[in-house]
Amino acid sequence: MIAWLLPPLGLLAGLMLGAVTLTPAEALALLADPAQPVAQLLLQWRLPRVLAAGCVGALLALGGTVFQGVFRNPLAEPYLLGSAGGAAVGATVALLVALPLPQGLALPVFAFCGAWAATWLVLALARLADGTSVAALLLAGVAVAALLGAVRSFLMLALSDETVSLQAVLAWSLGGVQTPSWPELGLLAALTAAALLLCRGLARGLDLLGLGEAMAESYGLAVRRFVGLAVLAGAFVVAISVVWGGLVGFVGLMAPHLARWTSGPLHARLLPRAAAIGAGLAMLCDGAARALLPPAEIPLGLVTAAIGAPFFLLVLAREARRG
Amino acid sequence: MAEAVLRAEGVGYRLGARALVADVALELHTGEVLGLIGPNGAGKSTLLRLMAGLLRPTAGALHLHGRALDSFPARERARRIGYLPQHFAPHWDYTARELLRLGLERGGDPSGLEAVATRHDITALLPRRWSSLSGGERARVLAASVLATRPELVLADEATAALDVGQSLALMRRLRAAAQAGAAVAVVVHDLNLAVAWCDRIALLHQGRLQALATAPALAEDPRLDAVFGVVFERVRTQAGWMLNARARRCEGDREPP
Repeated sequence: MIAWLLPPLGLLAGLMLGAVTLTPAEALALLADPAQPVAQLLLQWRLPRVLAAGCVGALLALGGTVFQGVFRNPLAEPYLLGSAGGAAVGATVALLVALPLPQGLALPVFAFCGAWAATWLVLALARLADGTSVAALLLAGVAVAALLGAVRSFLMLALSDETVSLQAVLAWSLGGVQTPSWPELGLLAALTAAALLLCRGLARGLDLLGLGEAMAESYGLAVRRFVGLAVLAGAFVVAISVVWGGLVGFVGLMAPHLARWTSGPLHARLLPRAAAIGAGLAMLCDGAARALLPPAEIPLGLVTAAIGAPFFLLVLAREARRG
Repeated sequence: MAEAVLRAEGVGYRLGARALVADVALELHTGEVLGLIGPNGAGKSTLLRLMAGLLRPTAGALHLHGRALDSFPARERARRIGYLPQHFAPHWDYTARELLRLGLERGGDPSGLEAVATRHDITALLPRRWSSLSGGERARVLAASVLATRPELVLADEATAALDVGQSLALMRRLRAAAQAGAAVAVVVHDLNLAVAWCDRIALLHQGRLQALATAPALAEDPRLDAVFGVVFERVRTQAGWMLNARARRCEGDREPP
């Protein structure tokens, strides 16, 4: 129930917060009377941005839920796993290198390839160490994320010129949602809905994988093939979120956990609730990013990290106690 | 002789240069409980995983009701074979109800959950999470989930290892009941007396090879048991059957026991 309350709360907060902060009554009054110029500003400028942040949050939550299920690790999330970093490297190449593809196509394709390759790299490194253990996965993720960060910085320094704004790429890599046009928002919403359906299709396999590989196999899951498919799906979801929102950490960690606490671990219930919580969290954080230092904006990734990092430490401590 | 549910013909499994299981031939029949015994590293768990279709043999073949085991679609194999692993620790804190549902769903029909819970006496446990269950309760919930689809072949890999005496007996009773209901059951057991008391036949494995396959009373008297385990067993005949007590470690040059 709490999961379903967060998106409307986040939407309202997102509409209220910004360079000019409104009270809930003012925001609702403006929405009720869209003819006013300020209402137009709210509807054409702030609303699409808040909704885009919600979609990015939902995508990150879906990616986090799928990766936590695949890696059977409560600390797996797109940002810490390096998959978001991989998508960012791919997207940076698409932004900075002159390619024979239109950028609108190159950006998502390269982001997807980067996310997919980075996730496999982390999975392979973690398997070399100790399968799905928390420590092995975290260390592999940290190492790959650091490497990808270095590659991205190098690409930015080596490939940027006066035609490409380094500051724009940097701002994007710190995480942040731009105000989309309504058709762009429609595309993002459609992709988010498709991602939810795609992930929902993985629910039973993720549930079985949670029993351990031997039990999952004995219950009829082709584990290797399923993991391959799930990583592919996760990379797709993360790539969309990175293309639209840059590098936003920890939403993919927090949302599945909060959803699991309220709905239990079965993924058919967990995935939509995690997506709702992720959307609500991202809308709230995006509002805070606009309102904390007006008229300047703080990158969304900084706000989510400020909340998410303590949450991460809390989960890590719980895991350490569980052994 | 009852119908052979599972037939293994010259089954072997190599990992690199090492043969974990070699040239095993046996049949498993409806209504019987077969014990797999042997020292650590004898290949018992590997053989059980081969029988479950979780590993593919590198030599020989396995047949389920006369049909090659690897020709079954994964879902059908899952419905027909119930596998109780050696260590079961779910990564998420499922409730007993959720675990039972996952077990039932492999048969494609999650209805009848309450009836299965009643049959296995776990109705009161259904709302509880795995982390809140005791060892014995976990064993009951897991057995109920695995047996929920009434599989025709039940394979238990040292499922009694972490259980106390009473819980071990309760689990063996459940496996025996599954056999009486028409399943063929194979169980890896470390406790030889448990194997002798509850199994119809016992297969003795050593270094991946089948050393002996006989009825439980006959195997209890077999001197190969002492040789394989490297101990001298004192055999006590009781009203319930043979009791085996390991008396001393055999030394180099010891004569084979009579």
